[in-house]
Amino acid sequence: MNRADLERLLDRLVDATVLERVVISFASLLFAIVVGGVIVLLAGIPATCRDPAFVFAGREFCYDPIEMYLTLFEGAGAFGSLTNLGLTLQETSVLLFTGLSVAVAFRAGLFNIGTQGQMVLGALGSALTIVWVAPSLPENVVGTVVIVPLAVVVATVIGGLYGTLPGLMKAYADAHEVITTIMLNFVAMGIAFYLVRNHVGDTTTDSVQTTPIPDFARLPPTIDGTRFSILVLLFGLAAAIALYLLYERTVVGYDLRTSGLAPEAADYGGVNAKRNIVASMTLSGALGGIAGAMYVLMVHYRWETDMPPLGFDGIAVSILAGNNPLGVIPASLLFGALKGGSLQIDFALGVPPELVEVLRGLIILFVAMPEFFRMIGSYAGYGTDGGETDG
Amino acid sequence: MANAEPPKRLGPVVGLVIGLFVVLVFAVVLVPGLRELGADVVGIVDASYVRSALRFTVPIAFAGMGGIFAEKSGVINIGLEGLLIISAFTAIAVMWLLGDQGDAGRMLAMFGGVLASLLVTLLFAIICIEFKADQIIAGLAVWLIALGFAPFGSIIIWGTVNSDSVGSFDPLSIPLLSDLPYVGQVLFRATPPVYLMLLAVPFSWYLLNRTAFGKHLQASGEDPKTLDTAGVSVRKVRYAGVLLSGIYCGIGGAGLALNAGQFVGGGETITSGRGLIGLTTYLIANYNPVGAFLSAFFFAGLDALQLQIQRVPGIELSSTLIGIIPYVAVLIVLTFVGKTRMPESAGEHYESEE
Repeated sequence: MNRADLERLLDRLVDATVLERVVISFASLLFAIVVGGVIVLLAGIPATCRDPAFVFAGREFCYDPIEMYLTLFEGAGAFGSLTNLGLTLQETSVLLFTGLSVAVAFRAGLFNIGTQGQMVLGALGSALTIVWVAPSLPENVVGTVVIVPLAVVVATVIGGLYGTLPGLMKAYADAHEVITTIMLNFVAMGIAFYLVRNHVGDTTTDSVQTTPIPDFARLPPTIDGTRFSILVLLFGLAAAIALYLLYERTVVGYDLRTSGLAPEAADYGGVNAKRNIVASMTLSGALGGIAGAMYVLMVHYRWETDMPPLGFDGIAVSILAGNNPLGVIPASLLFGALKGGSLQIDFALGVPPELVEVLRGLIILFVAMPEFFRMIGSYAGYGTDGGETDG
Repeated sequence: MANAEPPKRLGPVVGLVIGLFVVLVFAVVLVPGLRELGADVVGIVDASYVRSALRFTVPIAFAGMGGIFAEKSGVINIGLEGLLIISAFTAIAVMWLLGDQGDAGRMLAMFGGVLASLLVTLLFAIICIEFKADQIIAGLAVWLIALGFAPFGSIIIWGTVNSDSVGSFDPLSIPLLSDLPYVGQVLFRATPPVYLMLLAVPFSWYLLNRTAFGKHLQASGEDPKTLDTAGVSVRKVRYAGVLLSGIYCGIGGAGLALNAGQFVGGGETITSGRGLIGLTTYLIANYNPVGAFLSAFFFAGLDALQLQIQRVPGIELSSTLIGIIPYVAVLIVLTFVGKTRMPESAGEHYESEE
């Protein structure tokens, strides 16, 4: 990205009002849902099913998009099922951290696509810390109080260091962070896979995984029948508020933003822009690492290869939130609901849960083109004007 | 990136590489045991290794060369990766629908892949050019949509994220030339996508550097206003540049999948970042298609090591670790090999003042 680009971005950030952003986010969501519905409808033609949802023009359609979305929201616990709600909130809690991770980088004009890798390594670090340290701790509350923070700190440090790397490459070698962070994702997954399979994993099984963490290191479930722990949700909410205050109310936050968006201007103002770029990426990586720890402590109770793509979901969460830490809260809830409900559409209707990943991409795409909505808006505006003149 | 910077500073890097090479040679000759190992490693580089490296080069080189056209025209296409995925998936789906129809069917499948990639690219172009989307985010979205859609489609068709095994391209021997020692084995006993790639390299160079279209393309990225003043539509040139990248990625993705005979939708899918490695190749090569091809071949060579190294007795290296070598190489290259000067107006919208 060159300087003119950054200035354009800065201009746009100033120009776009909060209201406009909220409208764009909602409109993007709506469009993504409609396009996703069309994809599901069309996918129902080649799909094979025992009883099709409906038959139209002699063709069997396996899926009914409206029924699918209703099932999705029911599966997300929108209609009062506590276990489903727990699943949604569990996803939401981890997404808060991956969403914040991406948002922190975005605030500084940096694209951290590497949250996934930072999360994978953070998760592995916390899982191994627990497995290695737990035997020397009492299996009670004391053990929990010692080991949970320790696991989180280790994950934070590992994720942070892994975020520092692309930060350094960006600041001092001008290597584009989109490419470096994606490459680092592959490297992280490869290293983690290698370590767990060959050295530190559970050698009694064929699966590439660590031994499970002991009961006292698992966060206590808040809703029976689920693994959701309100502690993680509260921690995530606190992080979102803290980051909001950091960026809106402190000089440090202001410097972090300007250093990435307009390094020359920051340097001119006596701020070390390069160091702040590294700091932003480190903070971003640290949040990715924490997401990994939360996944181990609350969701999976061990590290296992092929972690869910929560880091990539974080990109959509952040973009939908307009990269505002407070906006990340409702955006995480939305994606948590989508992910929570995706199991239900698979189970009840046979719609592949990967649909949520398609929606994720569509939402990002629509948010990326505010001009599209402005055009629609002005078109609609002209329409109303025309109506008035006619009347 | 500041434009006043010298475009490249290769000197120290070349020195470093040569230095490392000399150290390596000394170590191999002097340290007992390493000599045998050295002989084994050299033994890896046989005709079959180069052949598989060339096959691996296909998606990277096509993504790289295609990316050049888009970016030279002023539109950064980071969605190359997604286009490879879409094309790979579509090509295999068409193959599966057709059943085994020989090479004609495979070419048809390839055409299907190119068409799908072209369609998605057209959407991307409209979004970037008409709706002035942020090109990086839109490209990212293309990748993420493909990353979700391909496994989604695979489950609809095959019931799992991976496709059934369909036929793959057989090597096609060119009479006489394939009888040449070594070179014949490598270059003239290859699969159709490899031949297409070997043809596309000089073609792309010629198109970019020796034709009016190429000059328009470069002007559209460097100085759109002047091009506009000269009476050439910047919009059309940019559409052409972006769509070309779609066609190239289509061939690359379909070639990758049809060389393998299967679509793998798990994880980051069968393409595994090769589109982004392609993007790196043209940054290294400073937008020269020939250079992009050569760096693609370098990365693919590292990629192909995974297959070969298992044949060497005495090397106890995990194939997973060897698998990350190409990605590490990309990181090293991006960090230490000079700065590339991007086209002046790449990433910016151009408003014609009609």
